[in-house]
Amino acid sequence: MSENLLEVTGLKVHFPIRKGIVFDRTVGHVKAVDGISLGVSTGQTLGVVGESGCGKSTLGRAILRLEEPTSGTVKFNGQDITSLPAEKMRRLRRRMQMVFQDPLSSLDPRQSIESLLIEPLTVHGLAESDLEKIGRDSPANHRRKALNMLELVGLPASAMAKYPHEFSGGQRQRVGIARAMICSPDLVIADEPVSALDVSVQAQVINLLEDLQAELGVTYVVIAHDLAVVRHISDRIAVMYLGQVVEEAGSDELYEKPYHPYTVALMSAIPVPDPVVEDSRERILLEGDLPSPADPPSGCRFHTRCPWAREKCSQEDPELREIEPGRRVACHFAEEVAQKIADDREVENERLAHGAEAPQTASNG
Amino acid sequence: MTDTTDKTPDTGQKNIAVKDAGQKAVADPQPLLDVKNLSVTFSKRKGESFTAVDGVDFDVRPGEVVGIVGESGSGKSVTSMAVMGLLPRRGVTIEGEARFDGTDLLTMPKQELTRLRGGDLAMVFQDPMSSLNPVVTIGKQMTEVLHAHRTISAKDARDEAIDLLRRCGIPDPARRFGEYPHQLSGGMRQRALIAIALACQPRLLICDEPTTALDVTIQAQVLELLTELVRDMGTAMIMITHDLGVVAGLCDHVNVMYAGRIVEYAPREALFASPRHRYTHGLIDSIPRLDQRRDQRLTPIPGTPADTVPWSRACAFAPRCRHVTDACVTDAIPLEEVGFEHRARCVNPASDAENSTQTSQVMASGQMAQEESE
Repeated sequence: MSENLLEVTGLKVHFPIRKGIVFDRTVGHVKAVDGISLGVSTGQTLGVVGESGCGKSTLGRAILRLEEPTSGTVKFNGQDITSLPAEKMRRLRRRMQMVFQDPLSSLDPRQSIESLLIEPLTVHGLAESDLEKIGRDSPANHRRKALNMLELVGLPASAMAKYPHEFSGGQRQRVGIARAMICSPDLVIADEPVSALDVSVQAQVINLLEDLQAELGVTYVVIAHDLAVVRHISDRIAVMYLGQVVEEAGSDELYEKPYHPYTVALMSAIPVPDPVVEDSRERILLEGDLPSPADPPSGCRFHTRCPWAREKCSQEDPELREIEPGRRVACHFAEEVAQKIADDREVENERLAHGAEAPQTASNG
Repeated sequence: MTDTTDKTPDTGQKNIAVKDAGQKAVADPQPLLDVKNLSVTFSKRKGESFTAVDGVDFDVRPGEVVGIVGESGSGKSVTSMAVMGLLPRRGVTIEGEARFDGTDLLTMPKQELTRLRGGDLAMVFQDPMSSLNPVVTIGKQMTEVLHAHRTISAKDARDEAIDLLRRCGIPDPARRFGEYPHQLSGGMRQRALIAIALACQPRLLICDEPTTALDVTIQAQVLELLTELVRDMGTAMIMITHDLGVVAGLCDHVNVMYAGRIVEYAPREALFASPRHRYTHGLIDSIPRLDQRRDQRLTPIPGTPADTVPWSRACAFAPRCRHVTDACVTDAIPLEEVGFEHRARCVNPASDAENSTQTSQVMASGQMAQEESE
């Protein structure tokens, strides 16, 4: 964890709730992001999962300073960017880009793909690595780079003259990705990159993101609500609940041994496209809805919905502690929960093994 | 947990009487809803007409949960809208028949249909915000249904509505009864919508993407609720969704739709264990699974759902299919029997060998995927 490309420390984003017509006064704050610390090392992918309203998108935007953080620091390549003056920040944006959820609303409908792709190059110029390969900044070279990029994301060169509405959702998302990647950024934040796409197309975009990472070595922060998608492309996963990270772990470890009750519930809530698994697994149903981030519960924020909640949970806020090397969890009783889950799985596996030739697809990971 | 064989309604603790129809359960061979050769064509004043649903056949037996799966544009929602008589008359041609309890819904006089809808036939829509009236309280919207279909006093209607809200898992139902839709959270709104749909104990409930707008933890709650209610009340259900995971846990039989036609019909176990149609096969292969090896590369279906050819010329999936042959270019590919209660519309269906590597999630499948992509 020494050479982290991105280092977020104690990041908070609070939105004031204002009331009154004549006198504008602040009556409270929506604590969208409330004290998050994360690190992403170069070339890795960090997945951020959580339900809607947990602050995961705000976190992504705050990292890029599209949303000004209330407090805390964001270090990019060792440099604190939270207090960077506007012009320096603008220059730095070449190296940190974003892929948005809905490519139709994030691409200008009146710009052709060519103009959309070249625009970032006109603003920032070609990346240093490209200057050697393609040559100095010039409209012709920019066009060449744009064509290269189109090929890289799997679109035909004829796409250059087209407009966003002429493409399908998957192709549009490819344009969005090409536009984010064209300046050869070091960090790309992808906010729900596949959730607006058809099921059969999602896999294409996921594979594309993986290929681009292998080719260009970019670092990703992938924000999504779909744990299965996030787990597939991430090296590490941070699970968010009500503005805080409740668990952070390597993707495989997280699936194999979840510590936080919320992670457990989240994983059990995701339907698996396999009737054998669906029928056999224990589903932990959470009660109620996500509490309002304007008025989060006392103590552990999850205690209102937690099936294992005890008295201590409503009084003391558990800190994000390192439970194993490289694993952090914010729960007073994490060890007990994990043990309980492990026991349940064992019983389940045994039952499956003794059952009538039930395939072993269940939870062997 | 959703036991397919156990459809006997358990009325013990429930204070709402179960209708006779429900108790016949799956043993009843007579389908409750029998859709035959349903076609829906949208015509424009200028330009070509578009056939959204193209000769769809399926039936729903009492107490059965039937899934209709497909991507956007596959015609799954239009099918349900046509059955419910919710499509505009203008510019829409509906052919075929949809027999509900023996009478054709499509040719039924409007008054009769109005009496059925909300009563014996109910529907839950995807987006609860746009299907609930924002300026009418939840309670009013619920009792409205009861008053329309039954002779019931205002007080009884209120009590019944509150009871229903409570059974649908809405905390503090008496307070929610007087509230407006915007005061409820997304999950609660969907519950309220389900409560409205169930108010008259329908015999058939059509759910059109009921959980798509919801978070996974809330989705799990709503699915659990639907399963319970269906089991307890013996209601038959049509579950329209794009999420194969939802289908896997809930449906007895599944219809997979592609470009307006049913391409595969199977019991859910068979559908996932041995999908025959190349589209189903590809779809199951392309979804990242939580219990999958992480380094295993996904095998996407190439192209987009818009890349279709008309069924009248060839298999609509042919442009995206990895196993396309010359035989695929033919005008009438039949929905053929490929196993017990298992039909597929494919001239070159996936074999068992291909399926076994797929479902067991072994490394061979990863290698196969690599070979395929090369």
